[in-house]
Amino acid sequence: MSLPLPGPGSDPAAEPEAWGRLLELAREESADHLLLRHLVEVWARTSGARGVALYLEQGELLRREVAIGDGFPSILERDDVADGAAGVVPLPGGALVVEPPEAAAAAAGAAAQLTLLLGAAATNRRLKQQIKAERFQVNYRIVELEALYDVGLAVAGTLDRERLAEEVLLRAISLLDARRAALYLIENGSYRLDRAFGGAAAADVAVADPELARFLAGEGPAPAALLPGARYAIGVPIQVEAGPRGFLAVGDKETRRGLAPFPEGDRRILVLFATQAALALENVRLHQQALENERMAREMELAAEIQRLILPTGAPPVPGYSLFGWNRPARQVGGDYFDLLSLPGGQIGLAVGDVSGKGVPAALMVSTLHSGLRLLLDRFPPGPELVEALSAHVLASSAPSKYITLLLAELDPGSGALRYVNAGHNPGLLLRRDGEVELLDASGLPVGLLPGSRYQARAVVLAPGDLVCLYSDGITECLSPGDEEFGTDRLAALLAEHRDLPLAELVEAIDEATCAFGAGTPQGDDQTLVLLRREEEKA
Amino acid sequence: MTDNSTVTADRRDGLAVIYTRGYINNQAGEEIARVAYSLIDEGHKALLLNLEGTTIVNSIGISILIEIIEKMIEIGGRLAFCRLTPTIDKTFHIMGLTQYAPIYGDEATAVAALRG
Repeated sequence: MSLPLPGPGSDPAAEPEAWGRLLELAREESADHLLLRHLVEVWARTSGARGVALYLEQGELLRREVAIGDGFPSILERDDVADGAAGVVPLPGGALVVEPPEAAAAAAGAAAQLTLLLGAAATNRRLKQQIKAERFQVNYRIVELEALYDVGLAVAGTLDRERLAEEVLLRAISLLDARRAALYLIENGSYRLDRAFGGAAAADVAVADPELARFLAGEGPAPAALLPGARYAIGVPIQVEAGPRGFLAVGDKETRRGLAPFPEGDRRILVLFATQAALALENVRLHQQALENERMAREMELAAEIQRLILPTGAPPVPGYSLFGWNRPARQVGGDYFDLLSLPGGQIGLAVGDVSGKGVPAALMVSTLHSGLRLLLDRFPPGPELVEALSAHVLASSAPSKYITLLLAELDPGSGALRYVNAGHNPGLLLRRDGEVELLDASGLPVGLLPGSRYQARAVVLAPGDLVCLYSDGITECLSPGDEEFGTDRLAALLAEHRDLPLAELVEAIDEATCAFGAGTPQGDDQTLVLLRREEEKA
Repeated sequence: MTDNSTVTADRRDGLAVIYTRGYINNQAGEEIARVAYSLIDEGHKALLLNLEGTTIVNSIGISILIEIIEKMIEIGGRLAFCRLTPTIDKTFHIMGLTQYAPIYGDEATAVAALRG
């Protein structure tokens, strides 16, 4: 751009056009930098200086606005332009730095008018910059509020945990002009690093770490290992009403002049932001938990279905006898087991087992017991040898301290002989026709408890009208509201009272009696019954 | 997550595209300014900042971008942005950058607009 500019020592009256152009520039808002440049150029020519730079105050420093000539630094300290410093011409809100320094004397001589004009233009420029900076700050506060609002919206809008966590971390950095940050979320009782930006961060921090607690309360520095190498850091908890969920730490605030500590206002913004983030993250966590519960419920239903298929749905027909089995787990899946088998030679196998523990682990052992028993029945008759082999199998394929009580019996329907092995199970009840009760006692340890367990077979002979009841402890240990056990005597009495009912109805009677005894107390254990009755010959 | 910022430029017949990757903070902002001013010195009067690789910008970075916009206005040139994330797009609108430097969804549209 070609401009008529006032010459050295110019008088406004002598060069009205050139001075008019300068005044026109002074009125143009967008041309103030250009105006300053022209004025400095004229000042340099008028003063005879080799070089002149105009510096304007910006915060605690002075920033170079215009430079004619080389070698002028972009930033100066206030001390560099103090009154009386060589080669410095003070201006309102700034200074001219002149080379050679002697040329500065022109400010009081030939360039005096120009110096005044330059001072006014510099003030104007500085005020405009100040307004611009303040407008920038106001706009950035709006950006901060928008960030808080957006994260709040994410509460309803985002169920993608990864995206949300990323958004939280990036917005925290951006909001506070931080150089680095780390997001920690509680996992298994400690703060686990979810993600970090701008540098390494500690992988885990103990929830009870007192240094961390002081840091998050704004009462102490960050633990040294948290953001290694960070010069400045602030952190705030991420918590909901139910308690802490994690924390957010940001480090090294940026300014145009380098790193700086975070002012107190930044902590307040971060607290507000973390409150919004906590709600959003908690929303996602609860959603994930609901999905997980749903998945678990589906899997449990599948496991229950598998277990239902393991247990027999009916009894093999045995002429002259009634046989019935029943099971009700306390949870979806259980640790009780029973089986009713047709064996070679017309023999009938009966089994009742109870795995230590409950729920899924017990159900898995039931599967082990079922498959082991079925396989071993191909090799052994249902007697001590089979139970010893079964014990070794269970011991080898289950967790330590897991075992199974088992009562395994074999009926010879023709003779009524019932040969049994009781491996640590509740004694079966044999109710004779005349009302006498005999116990089918244990003759060895539960299977899978110890290696090398040995068992003995015992036998009884069932006469017409005799009733055998094999059961799990879920029946006899059923509790009343007063914590009294149902017990073997009540069971034996029930059997005696209803001994002639069809076995399915007898089971119903026992079930009704235990439920009535519990008086609404939730079923605490799996319940199993196997009933065998030798029917009396009809006249 | 990558947080190493890079700035590259692609010169195309008087127009230059500056590609940024990573956090536009003080350091990356200064690097963008250095690249932009050097392109201006080379005679480029139309600059496009493609922010496809950037997901985060802070106030220092924005202030430097404003300085670049002012410099472009001073020399009578034009500057535009493209491929902004929704968050950065919103921030630029609030901060007033879009009054002087338009935002385009894709690079081809932005280049065509700057040449038009």
